[in-house]
Amino acid sequence: MIELKDITKTYGKGDSLFTALYKIDVAIPTTTTAAIIGKSGSGKSTMMHIMSGLDRPSEGDVIINDKALSELKPRQIDKFRSTEMSFIFQAFFVEANQTCYQNVMLPLEIAKVGRRNRRKRVLEALSAVDLEEKIDAQASKLSGGQKQRLAIARAIVNKPKIIFADEPTGNLDSTTGELIIKLLFNLHKSIGATLVIVTHDEELAARCSMRIYMKDGEITRIEGKSKQPTATSKKTRRV
Amino acid sequence: MFLSDQIRRAGRSLRSAKARTLLTAMAIAVGAFALTLTLAASNGAQSFVNNIIAKNFDPTELIVVADQTVLGGGDASKPTEYSGNFGSSVSNSGAVTQVKRLTDDDIKKVKAVPGVESVREDITANLQYITRPDQKKFVGTMQSFPPFQQPDLIAGSIPKPLIGKQVLLPEAYIAALGFPSVEAAVGKTITVGVQKPPATGAPQTFSQAIVQDSVVQEFTIAAILKKPTTSQPGTELYLFTSQEAAHELNDISTLGTANYRAYTDIFVKVADGNNAQNITAVQNKIKDIGFYAQSVKDTQAFLTQIISVLQGIVIAFGLIAVLASIFGIVNTMYISVLQRTREIGLMKALGMRKRDIGRLFRFEAAWIGLLGGAIGAGLAFGLGTALNPWITAKVNLGAGNSLLIFQPLQIGILILILVIISILAGWLPSRKAAKLDPIEALRTE
Repeated sequence: MIELKDITKTYGKGDSLFTALYKIDVAIPTTTTAAIIGKSGSGKSTMMHIMSGLDRPSEGDVIINDKALSELKPRQIDKFRSTEMSFIFQAFFVEANQTCYQNVMLPLEIAKVGRRNRRKRVLEALSAVDLEEKIDAQASKLSGGQKQRLAIARAIVNKPKIIFADEPTGNLDSTTGELIIKLLFNLHKSIGATLVIVTHDEELAARCSMRIYMKDGEITRIEGKSKQPTATSKKTRRV
Repeated sequence: MFLSDQIRRAGRSLRSAKARTLLTAMAIAVGAFALTLTLAASNGAQSFVNNIIAKNFDPTELIVVADQTVLGGGDASKPTEYSGNFGSSVSNSGAVTQVKRLTDDDIKKVKAVPGVESVREDITANLQYITRPDQKKFVGTMQSFPPFQQPDLIAGSIPKPLIGKQVLLPEAYIAALGFPSVEAAVGKTITVGVQKPPATGAPQTFSQAIVQDSVVQEFTIAAILKKPTTSQPGTELYLFTSQEAAHELNDISTLGTANYRAYTDIFVKVADGNNAQNITAVQNKIKDIGFYAQSVKDTQAFLTQIISVLQGIVIAFGLIAVLASIFGIVNTMYISVLQRTREIGLMKALGMRKRDIGRLFRFEAAWIGLLGGAIGAGLAFGLGTALNPWITAKVNLGAGNSLLIFQPLQIGILILILVIISILAGWLPSRKAAKLDPIEALRTE
């Protein structure tokens, strides 16, 4: 369960004070697929950053599986991210001059996974995205869709509990995007992780079991099987 | 991240920017090249000095003098008090300086010092001329032959012990004295003229001063000395003879003067002198009775001091090159951090610790240092080894000496130091990488 409790995030001071998020209260149950939907500038990315511990909220707290991130030291959050979370980005962020193997291995190296298991786990991850034949190919030789599949392999190699995907189809044509989404949802099911997708694509959002709509740093609407009625009630109270 | 993973990743990111890495490393290579050659040259100079010392001095002997200016000490700017014991010697510039000498009585005192095995006067007799029947006359100097010396010979052999009127003749006199060959000269005799000093007290005319009585002696050539390469400067044309023959010549030429039976320096052999403690003990006791004693070690230190100064200057230049290369590394590393902003952001998002990211970039700097150091030292070693015989022949160091001596340990330490310097140079860029905000780094639009 990912719980955001009364999260407010502001930048700057005085007249230039900018509120990116205002009193966000939401809970995403474990193994849910949740979409955070909003236009650019709505605060959806900031929310993902705070959820993953990359960014610290100005007020409020993030509680992941009963652990409050605010009580963790930076290195504990780093450890948490390296073992329990992973990311998929719009621009892939695969290292073009490294091989697929080296790309997928990065999270294993960061999490200090023993050398013996590495190749096996990289192979598993690559075959899950149907790229096992490209294991020793340079990432620069891959197409856009293959690059995103490589990024997905990198995201699942560590068997994370939460996968954050930031506009995963934003840089892909609709056919390839469709394939990536199918792959993502299948993998989510098979590894049993919580999938949080940040998107402005309504079609993609519609496939998620939970949809959090955002505008100007606030949640406007939550759809789907949220087990947290408080989120809705607070929303109505604020509106 | 494991250390080995960091080192590998750092190396990999350098390989992806080969030209940049190589160019930066070349700057260090220049410094490494200069420093490696300097070190090799100073090793060579050091061993050259050691060779000179070994061939000319007995390490179990002390040089003892009554006047410390002889050993390069004392204060030459202050007037020296006159003493009847003073003999005069003429400096290179022609000025007459007076040096307090050791008399037979002094030598007795030194002999009485516990730990002294034997004493040998250092005798250098100024000859009037050297010649052979029907040949020209040449000036020369005759010295007592130190028994431990092993000069290179081209003909004949040195009798052990060298006694009586036998002489070791430098190669250069062979042709001058009209010998057909070096072999032909061995066993032949030469004529040596020694001038008696002017009679004291008697009034002297100018012509008397010129035409003084000479004593002529015959010497048998025992061996021909090869032109020495490791002798003390100025002694290349010295003739050597036995202690007693040199003594006799010196007595003739100084009889009646203050220099008679007075020696600027004597060699004192220390009993069990291979033990440094014995040397020091005798050295101190000689000081106590009012003389000055210098050990071979002191002489060596004096000679190597000059080398150290020269060495220091060249090392300074090498360090300037290294200093310049530091800026190159800093620049390269900053570019590397900038180019890899995304990658750093990703690694941070995936939970890599600040410390590990900083280290990743410091390893990258270390790789550059290692590469540069290895290239520079390798080139210096290769080039030095290839050209060494030629250079050594050109500067005429003689057999057994090399201008450049490479020591693997020294080169290893040098490269290690360069690696450490590179890591320090990479410190600021690596801090920038560690402090990078992952959200900023991963922003796409």
